[in-house]
Amino acid sequence: MSVLDAPVTAAAPAAPTTGLTPIFVRLKLTLLRNGLRQSTGRRTAFIVSLVLTLLLAAGQVLGLVLLRGNAQAGTVVVLLTAVVALGWAVLPLFFPSGDDTLDPTRLVMLPLRPEPLVRALLVSSMVGIGPLFTLCLVVGSVLALAHGFAGIVFAVLAVPLTMLLCVALSRAVATANVRLLNSRKGRDLAVLSGLVIAVGIQFVNFGAQRLGEAGGLSSLEPAGNVARWLPGASAIASVDAASDGSYGVAVAQLLITGAALAALVWLWQRGLVKLMTTPDGSTLAAAAPDRKESGRTGGLSGLLPEGRTGTVVQRSLRYVARDPKTKAAWVTSLALGAIVPLINAVQGTGSVYLACFAAGMLGMLMYNQFGQDTSAFWMVALTISSTRDAYVELRARACALLLITLPYTLLVCAVTAAVLGRWQSLPGALGLSFALLGAMMATGAVASALFPYSIPQDGAFKNAAPGQGGLAWISILLGMLAALLLAAPVIVLTVWLHLTDRQEALWVVIPVGVAYGTFIGWAGLRIAAPRTANRLPEILTAVSKG
Amino acid sequence: MPDRADARDVTDAVAAHDTHTETDATAGGARTAPPAVRVQGLWKRFGEQVAVSGIDLELPAGKFIGLVGPNGAGKTTTLSMVTGLLRPDMGKIEVAGHDVWTDPVAVKSRIGVLPEGLRLFERLSGRELLAYNGRLRGLPGDEVDKRAAQLLDVLDLAGSQHKLVVDYSTGMRKKIGLAAALLHNPEVLFLDEPFEGVDPVSAQTIRGVLERYTRSGATVVFSSHVMELVESLCDWVAVMAAGRIKAQGTLAEVRGDAPSLQNAFLELVGAGGRDTTGDSLDWLGGAR
Repeated sequence: MSVLDAPVTAAAPAAPTTGLTPIFVRLKLTLLRNGLRQSTGRRTAFIVSLVLTLLLAAGQVLGLVLLRGNAQAGTVVVLLTAVVALGWAVLPLFFPSGDDTLDPTRLVMLPLRPEPLVRALLVSSMVGIGPLFTLCLVVGSVLALAHGFAGIVFAVLAVPLTMLLCVALSRAVATANVRLLNSRKGRDLAVLSGLVIAVGIQFVNFGAQRLGEAGGLSSLEPAGNVARWLPGASAIASVDAASDGSYGVAVAQLLITGAALAALVWLWQRGLVKLMTTPDGSTLAAAAPDRKESGRTGGLSGLLPEGRTGTVVQRSLRYVARDPKTKAAWVTSLALGAIVPLINAVQGTGSVYLACFAAGMLGMLMYNQFGQDTSAFWMVALTISSTRDAYVELRARACALLLITLPYTLLVCAVTAAVLGRWQSLPGALGLSFALLGAMMATGAVASALFPYSIPQDGAFKNAAPGQGGLAWISILLGMLAALLLAAPVIVLTVWLHLTDRQEALWVVIPVGVAYGTFIGWAGLRIAAPRTANRLPEILTAVSKG
Repeated sequence: MPDRADARDVTDAVAAHDTHTETDATAGGARTAPPAVRVQGLWKRFGEQVAVSGIDLELPAGKFIGLVGPNGAGKTTTLSMVTGLLRPDMGKIEVAGHDVWTDPVAVKSRIGVLPEGLRLFERLSGRELLAYNGRLRGLPGDEVDKRAAQLLDVLDLAGSQHKLVVDYSTGMRKKIGLAAALLHNPEVLFLDEPFEGVDPVSAQTIRGVLERYTRSGATVVFSSHVMELVESLCDWVAVMAAGRIKAQGTLAEVRGDAPSLQNAFLELVGAGGRDTTGDSLDWLGGAR
């Protein structure tokens, strides 16, 4: 029976309150199955993520069970649960389109009462990889903590309560923000989330290293003691308390989770009713006041040359500021390019030459230039009618990149040298960076012409269209290897100057790097230009898949 | 015009005749203008599916030309190949007498395109998009800004010229796309479904601009599946179905004896006899 049949035949006048939950669960399973049937790529991705999740979950359960009896078991488990609950609250903001069944705006036209709807949505939210992972974690947590009869009783209550709380939290947050998530600003925000994670990982990594030095798990105890009384983790904490015999504390902690769950469901239901009975926000955006003329690049446009070069540079820079996907790529490159050398320098383990990492990261932005245009590339394609046009187009794009990259590379190299206090290596790092940038421009331009691929505009983590991911990786990997090989003469010169103890002559690397980088970059553009001009329709097809 | 001699059918003869009169009127009969578009033996295959199977087409210059056909007939594929955005598997395409694939300089400067299903640079404002497009086409900056201001005014976009295109409605996108296509004053304008999803007010604006543009002797080729629109706008029609040209000629010729272009079209694509009065939907409108 299809969902369409259900209300029409029997229960059209009265809302189908009974049996709504099974319908939603079945709908969710059907959507999941049909989604997998759509493409082998999606099927593979699903199976891989399922296997990975199961492996990770199994590892976690095993780890948690091994923790049993450890003095710090309670602290670790409680903190872990708190982090997972936080994840449930934050993830819908980053993955707004993750689940169609949960998008309440799709259900507005159906005659549904709020209470059964919330119940049905809550239960159907339990189907999926995320809930499965959470279940494994929660079960592992209580296994690590529960001792004695009281512990087991509280464990049996804590597992479903925690699960429900996580799901309700996620739904309540998503419903409250659905207006934002459906607006353009919200989608732009979701695209930027990728860089929050990319940069966040660096800091987590840094924090973990610090934790290792500062005396292990016991330093987590104060945080754990707070988390024990927070709704996300308090049900799990109650198992620990009950196992220790402090029943009063255990009951209070369990009640906190219960009360929080009730409050969340109430909030969620209220949000749902409001959302489904008031006009859509999409029409309100149209009434918003017009943008004032942008003055951001207004000053720059006066300095740029007339013709294609200035036009393309200006357009590229506007896209860095305005296009979320381009902005995310830039900010990630800029942040990682500085964080990696600087964190290492702060820890005293780095070298000034690590600052070349910044040049490498930023040079990667030259890859897939036309993919960054999306299918709007047709506007460019229609104006390129000769190799010369293609050359000027590519050169202008490289110029736009270098306008930001060159000063930034200079800055990162200088700051790294300052932090390390090794100024004598600065010229070497700078010269190497310039040579590397030139080589990346060259290989990037050639890769843009020969291996273009689509960049889907939605979603933070999709940087290549389905089926083109391999192409993307191979072109970037091969390109970077080629760039390193191309920059080899300057690398060899720098190494030789160091090995033969001629540091005072390192300044030579700067002019050599600039000259060599310029030459290699120019040659790369020359090679890429005819290939671009001859492959315009093929490039357009390749970048229009997103 | 070597092809003129062996004109394949009445259609071509009439088209040629029309071209002559048009040329005489606009250029004082000094020379014979080539057809706006000449397509010979054009093929395109996507995997197993043949999208365009060996079409021949000759579109006269200075006309308002409609390329009509049901969804999936190959209209977009044909227009993409004619404008150089898609490489054909086989065939020869000339625009204003210049080969699209061997003489791109001559062709690209003479055509304006509004494709369907391709994006614009949406993170630019309407005005910035026109400024960008005009300068890429090599027009002087001052001239671009002057033309852009007039186009924005005529197309009723002046109030939203500083808004990003990503925040435009469908009608506004079509209009800004049309402005970008017209900016360099092309000889031939190709529009893929220019009225699709456009409100009546915007449609009327677009229409007015296009009619004025063709009066100057330029050619408009546009695709559509709305027959009433084609009938009221075009003086020359080509009907496409399943990757083939079913008919081409003046509106009167293609319509023939049928009461309207719609009827003639349904006849041509072989969908005239579909019965919707049978008893398969007998419950619809019955007792509730």
